[in-house]
Amino acid sequence: MSSIIKIPFGPQHPALKEPENFMFKVDGEYVVDVTPRIGYAHRGIEKALEDRTYIQDLYLIERICGICSHAHTTCYTQAVEEALKVDVPPRAKYIRTIVTELERIHNHYFWLGIVAHEIGFETLFMYTWRDREIVMDLLELLSGNRVQYAMNMIGGVRRDITPEISSKIMKGVKVLGERMKYYKKICSDDKTILARSVNVGILKTKDAISLCAVGPTLRASNVKRDVRADDPYAAYDEIPFHVVTYDGCDVASRIATRCDEVIESVEIIRYALEHLPTGSIEVIVSRVVPPAEIISRVEAPRGENLHYLRSNGTDKPSRYKVRSPTLANLTALCKMLIGGYIADIPIVIAGIDPCFCCMDRLTFVDINNDETWGWEGEKLRRYGIKWYKKQ
Amino acid sequence: MNSLSKDYQDIIERLKKEIGSENLIGYEIPRPRRIWFSVRKEKLVDAITHLVGKGFVHLSTITGLEDENGLEVIYHLNRKGLEASLKVEVPVKQPVLPTITPIIPGAILYEREVHELLGVVFSGHPNLSLLILPEDWPKGVYPLRKKWTHKEIKKKLSRRT
Repeated sequence: MSSIIKIPFGPQHPALKEPENFMFKVDGEYVVDVTPRIGYAHRGIEKALEDRTYIQDLYLIERICGICSHAHTTCYTQAVEEALKVDVPPRAKYIRTIVTELERIHNHYFWLGIVAHEIGFETLFMYTWRDREIVMDLLELLSGNRVQYAMNMIGGVRRDITPEISSKIMKGVKVLGERMKYYKKICSDDKTILARSVNVGILKTKDAISLCAVGPTLRASNVKRDVRADDPYAAYDEIPFHVVTYDGCDVASRIATRCDEVIESVEIIRYALEHLPTGSIEVIVSRVVPPAEIISRVEAPRGENLHYLRSNGTDKPSRYKVRSPTLANLTALCKMLIGGYIADIPIVIAGIDPCFCCMDRLTFVDINNDETWGWEGEKLRRYGIKWYKKQ
Repeated sequence: MNSLSKDYQDIIERLKKEIGSENLIGYEIPRPRRIWFSVRKEKLVDAITHLVGKGFVHLSTITGLEDENGLEVIYHLNRKGLEASLKVEVPVKQPVLPTITPIIPGAILYEREVHELLGVVFSGHPNLSLLILPEDWPKGVYPLRKKWTHKEIKKKLSRRT
């Protein structure tokens, strides 16, 4: 006799626990199949962009994501500027790069805290989120906002970096870089973290490529692909940096990749501040965009961001397409989950840094007796921690 | 730049040879690291197979759109920063394209997205069920088609209840 229990969990939680649904098929403790269902936060932005002018669209693009808003507007402004055949002043390009990297540091600190929380390492969670305040303060100092920095405008950036701000950023990122070196050491030494992350959520190099994964998830599977290096934008063609890769293909490698990326970002910011060109930070542009077809790519903190623009000679785009990194990693995520333990689901899902995170609703189907039951994310997190304590 | 454009010309020539010059409707190199191809939909799978074999293994996404000429689907392939975009025109009356998931398994969600938002059917796709839109979304309403303006969609949705 099969019994189906449905537990509706929550309306949406826009702050952190974004809505998402996975249907898991489990055999005892093992996951044998998983089907994602997205769209709970689908707002029809692509359609809305067609009805608004390019300037109004900038505001909408800024609000696609709360964490990587700057990556999206950089991608958007680049596309529109290319269609307008406008060259942005070098100083604006450097400022864009600096904000991009500050955003990356913010995202990776934020993510490391979530990973620590998912495996029950609350001290590390508290530490990383405390240090995250430093970068948020820097972003506020620079842009006036803690989130949705609104630094980009079509033709340049909105605010300049003064020498005082520059020295404060230098001081701040120095602390962030040092702290991250310490956290990296913890993540590679601590038994709890190693037990929960090594050989967990395996994504082999071959699968990562064929499933078109992007960003740190891809680089942790030993594929050296980074838009900043391969298809340079903003000031990345002038700034030396390394593309971080690891070959563990597991959650431990994803942690190591992101830790190293923060250290790399600190160096990029230092270099950019030391070599900041002089001159203006914006050019005046036309509001009407000539017909063109543009692909713009950016390496957002979570991976490759692709925007496609088709303009038609008016002040509104004819089509604007946005592909954010989480969708690209979703197919790869399903691959990672299959064959793993139920207890590893939270850490593996958190491992790709999903933007719709936290699995508000989960449904399990036990394939032996066809029983179905529902769990929400928090309960599953506790289950995972308890299960590992017993081992 | 010269050796670069020679490299691009080489990619174009090889594709032409593979699918036949009559099936390559057009191409363009608007700037370094960008190539645009326009191919007949009958040769889509051959063209993608050829490009994947030439190292364009990463599919960034699939864009679907409608303009005055009808439906268009664009495959954004990538090789180390070189972006090759493959355009195919799809008739509005019979919007069917073959799936490319056997060649690039990562295309699975992108095809579903285009299917839902523009009504292009990918024949041979393992699962074209709804991914983004709600389960009770009215049939035949493809939000990214120009005919379905915000007003029209709202009208249709209000009639639903």
